[in-house]
Parts: sequence; structure tokens; C-alpha cells
Amino acid sequence: MSLLSIQNLSVSILGDDGIARELVSSISFDIAAGETLGLVGESGCGKSLTAMSILDLLPKPQASRSNGKVLFKGEDIGSTNQTRLRQIRGKNIAVIFQDPMTALNPVQSVAQQIGEVLRIHFPEQSRQQHGQRILELLREVGIPAPEARLSAYPHQLSGGMRQRVMIAMALACEPDLLIADEPTTALDVTIQSQIVRLLKGLQAKNGMAMLFITHDLALVSQVSDHIAVMYAGKIAEYGKARDVFATPHHPYTQSLLAALPGIHHQAKSPLLALEGQVPAIENMPSGCRFANRCRYVAELCHNKTPLAEHISETNTVACHRWKEIRS
Amino acid sequence: MTGYFVRRFLLIIPTFIGITLLVFAITRVVPGGPIERMMTQIQLGGETGSLHRSQGGGTLSDEQMEELKRYYGFDKPMLSSYAIWLKKVLQFDLGHSTRYQDPVWEIIKERFPISIFYGLSTLVLTYAVCIPLGLAKGMYHGSTLDSWSSAVVFLGYALPSYVIGIALISLFAGYWDMFPLGGFVSDNYEEFSAWGKAKDIFSHAVLPLIAYLAGSFAVTTLMMKNSLMDNLSADYMRTAAAKGLSRSESVRKHALRNSLIPVATSFGSNISLLLGGSFLIETIFNIDGIGLLGYEAIIERDYPIVMGILVISSLLYLLGNILSDICVALVDPRIRFGGGRGA
Repeated sequence: MSLLSIQNLSVSILGDDGIARELVSSISFDIAAGETLGLVGESGCGKSLTAMSILDLLPKPQASRSNGKVLFKGEDIGSTNQTRLRQIRGKNIAVIFQDPMTALNPVQSVAQQIGEVLRIHFPEQSRQQHGQRILELLREVGIPAPEARLSAYPHQLSGGMRQRVMIAMALACEPDLLIADEPTTALDVTIQSQIVRLLKGLQAKNGMAMLFITHDLALVSQVSDHIAVMYAGKIAEYGKARDVFATPHHPYTQSLLAALPGIHHQAKSPLLALEGQVPAIENMPSGCRFANRCRYVAELCHNKTPLAEHISETNTVACHRWKEIRS
Repeated sequence: MTGYFVRRFLLIIPTFIGITLLVFAITRVVPGGPIERMMTQIQLGGETGSLHRSQGGGTLSDEQMEELKRYYGFDKPMLSSYAIWLKKVLQFDLGHSTRYQDPVWEIIKERFPISIFYGLSTLVLTYAVCIPLGLAKGMYHGSTLDSWSSAVVFLGYALPSYVIGIALISLFAGYWDMFPLGGFVSDNYEEFSAWGKAKDIFSHAVLPLIAYLAGSFAVTTLMMKNSLMDNLSADYMRTAAAKGLSRSESVRKHALRNSLIPVATSFGSNISLLLGGSFLIETIFNIDGIGLLGYEAIIERDYPIVMGILVISSLLYLLGNILSDICVALVDPRIRFGGGRGA
């Protein structure tokens, strides 16, 4: 049994005109205990909405889960009551957000903010125990001189340090699953690799699973066991990270990888880019959402939504013509 | 930071001198000072016959004029008489009223309880109403409560306080006779029991307090509401939810405290409200407060009282500003004055 199983999840966005439109449209994926799923896609494709809907952290009432199940260890947490959901949040499933500048409360100290998670989920422990644990966590996430940082406020820390504090906060209760929503996007490149290495190390140590959301293909290839490539609210391709990168089947994945400049890329030669634009949410095509930009588009693509088809035992692709394209 | 506040306290001295010197200079140049007043009074009094007329149409001899000028300190150049005045102030002597001949301090002191009663009630009631109302409006933005309270609050803000005062008197004291017409206490106040006294003060205070308060809700309520809404939509509120806090807990522990910061910082400057008091409302309700005293003193050119009120109110205002800064530094760890460190 997988640790987390998302089945036919849809998320709707309420427009200014009062009409709810499905942005994330019936997507499914599984995460096994201890493994990492990389959720990749361009900005606005619904990665974060998908992730936030797992713990019902969507910005309401603008966004809401309109369909689908979220199973965590077999328990349907998508339809459970708020009390149960609160027990899971922070304890079994923790979240790291994109921007550590704003995700921390600016007027509370590091110790207060990490301590809060412990107070919520381990109220039976003493203050001393919590204090010990906070120090231990700060040490684990590689914050130098943790004793001196306890009383620091977020504005006194650098971006990388703040993200480390966020990670310490997320790891406080040793969760089974960590949702990392673009944890490195707001950081500069050298700090990015430090944070990714830290996350991988902690994951190996604690044996937790991770849902790693990013638009950085190079990063996701380092981190993930499995990859789900999202396009306009649907999963285009899903499979083992190595397979997807070695032999992409979906035309979108192919274009993405082709657009990635390699180390042998000739200087000043033009970069490959995907023509066209993502369809606006107001006029999503009824067929394949990628049809207007696809090189291999056929009549069928405009009329019928492609369903996920198995390429191999684990890998799937949502394309009508994947067999023809391959050959 | 201590250094910063020491500097701020020291800066009170030149600011205070600037304010008082300016007003002192104005009292010297505007026509119709206390001597002219006295002369007209004597002229109108009909006792002028016994005094022999001097040149210039006055009724006093030159020697008498000189004596009067010396008495009021008008015989010296402005700066030196300002220095004399300032020296007296430093010895806690505000001089004597030219109208009542009583010490200024005694006259002001008499009005203190009344003004502080209204000032304090206004201050406390403003915060007691605005903070919960602003919070409720922020939590239930767009609800019926929100729209209706906005309408009421802005109506109060838009109507001048004296219009409200007059309307209240005509309705509740004239037409329905529910509350007394004015005054601070009834004439037979001394005969009441303790409970009766409290009730008497209360019934006299209801209408003027409403007139004072009507306009003061809008700013703080809206400040509270906007500040709460900003914080409710902040990213750290999502973090709080992701930690496992319930909605009400995260509002209380995170959004609430942060949204009180701007309101708390306005508290210091509101201290000067304590002795404010609008002369319009005091006139309408016949309340003998500082506002009315100050107004009459200006009309009657009773400069020692004008300067005396100025001394007290400007000191309160200057101290209130520093208090504001202290409040900011206390509630917001991001603010550090003078150190150069931090944001």
C-alpha cells in the first residue's frame, strides 16, 4: 500500500465572474513510504494547488478541491473532519513553503515558532524537552551556533537560514511525508544545492517520503525517484525519474527536455523553446490541453481528452499518439 | 536604544522652547491685549469721569499705563520677558490670570477632573469599541455586520461633532427629556448618596460622550480591520495552519498580535486626547473643561492661561510621541531605534 494516494483529484478556482473553473483536473498519483515524487511543471500549471489540496491548505474561498480522494495510509483525509486533519498536519505530513521570507511569522522568535509545532503535537512533553528538541533540530538542519539563534527573529536571518528554520519546523515531529513546495525557488543557486542536499540527507536519515514540487528539471532529476510532469492542470507523464529523462514519451516532456541547455550547448546558438502559450483557464480545450502546441497533433487530440496509458508497469503517459511518436 | 530615547527626551527641550516662543511672540503682536481690554472695560464702566483723560483718547495716565505694562511684563523687550516667563515656568509658576487674578495653575487644576474624565472615557471607549469591532469586521469581511457598522462609523465620522451634539440635546434632552441638558453634575449634586452621584455623573456624561466618540471610531476601527485582513492573508497564516493550529488559534496567536501593532503604536499620540476636549462640545453641553477654558482665554486675551494650557498640552503631546515610539519598539521586534542593526 502506498503512503499517499491521490485519486482523480480536481481543484477549482473561483473566477472574478463567480464561475468556478477546474484548474487541476482529475489527477492521480501515489507516493510510497520513503520515496520522493517530483512534481514538475511550469508556473501556473497547478503544482502547488495539487500539493496544498492534500492538507486542505488551499486559499479559500478562491480555490477548493472539487473532486477526488486523498488517501494517507489508507485513510481518506480528503473527507475527514477538521480535528483529525489538524492532527495530521505538521505531525504526519509537514509542509515547506516556497518563500521563507514570508512563511515565517515576522514577530516571533525561531524558538517560539519551532516550539509551537511541538506544543501542538506533543503537549505532554515539558518545556525543557521541547527546548532540547529545538536545539537538536537546529543542529540537524545545519544552523551554526544554534543556541544563539533561538531568540533570533526571521529578519535577523538570511534567506537560506530561514528556509533551514522552516525545514526544522517541518521535521520537528518526524513526519512520514514532507511536502516541499518549491523550497529553493526563492534562494540563490549555491544555497539551493545546500538545501537540496540537506533535504536528501534528512530524508535518508528519517526515512520519510517527499513530494518535491519544482519547475527546475535539473533539480528534480537529482532529487526524485519518480516524476510526474504536469501541464495545464493534468499529469502528462508519470514514471521513474530515470525513464522519464532517458526516454520521454509525452511530446510536452520531450519539448521540455529539449529546451534544457546542456553543458555542451554551443554558446550563442539559439535556445530551443516551445511555441505558443498555455491555454487560459477560461477556454480550456475539450480535448488534449497540449494540442495547440503539439507537433504531433491530430484530429483526435482536439476532440478527446487523452487518458493515462501504461507504457510500462510503473510509467504512464497521457497522449493519444505516444506509440506512433516513439517509432 | 536607550541612547536613542535619551536623545528623544533631550529633544523635548528645544521643541518645547520653539512652540512656546512662537505662541508667546504671537500674543505680543496681536492687537487687543489685556491692557487694551482693561481700558475698554473702564471706559464702558462709566467711572471714567473721576479719572483725568490722558492723550490718545485713553482713560489712564501715562504713569498708570506704564505701571500696568510693568505689571503684565509688557515693558520689556519680547525675548527678555519670554526668558522671565520661562524661568517662572521652570519653577512651576504659570503666572496669574489677567481675567480672574487667580493663579493659572489653580484655574487649570480645577478643570482637570472634568477634562480627564471625558478624555479618559473617550480614550478607553474608543479602544474598547474599535478593537473588537475592527476584528469582527476583518474576520467577517463583506458580511452584513461589516457593511452596516461601516455605514454607522462613517456617518459619525462625516458629521461634525457639534451637529451631533445639538441633535442629541434636542432629541434626548429636549424632546424626550431622558438626559439633562448639560453641565457636569446636577446643582444639588452634594446631596446625593455615592451611588446617586455616580448615576448623576453618568447621566450627564452620556450625550457629550456620544458626541465626542461619534467621529473617533472610524479611523481606529478601519485601521484595525485592514491590519487584521493583511495579516489573515499573510503566508505565515498558512504556515500556522500547516503546523496543525486551528483557524481560531492561528488567528489568535499569529494574526491578532501582529495586527495590533499599528493600533498599539497610535496609542501614545492619543495620550494628548486626555486633556483635549473640544470647546464646541463643551460649549453645547455647558461643561467647564479645558477646551472651553482655552477658547475663552483666547477670546478674552487672557494670555497667561493660554500659555499655561499650551505648556501642559505641548508637553503631553511631546511625551506621547515618545511613548508611541516606545510602544512600537516593545511590540515589534523588527524595530530597533538608533542601533543601526536589524531591519
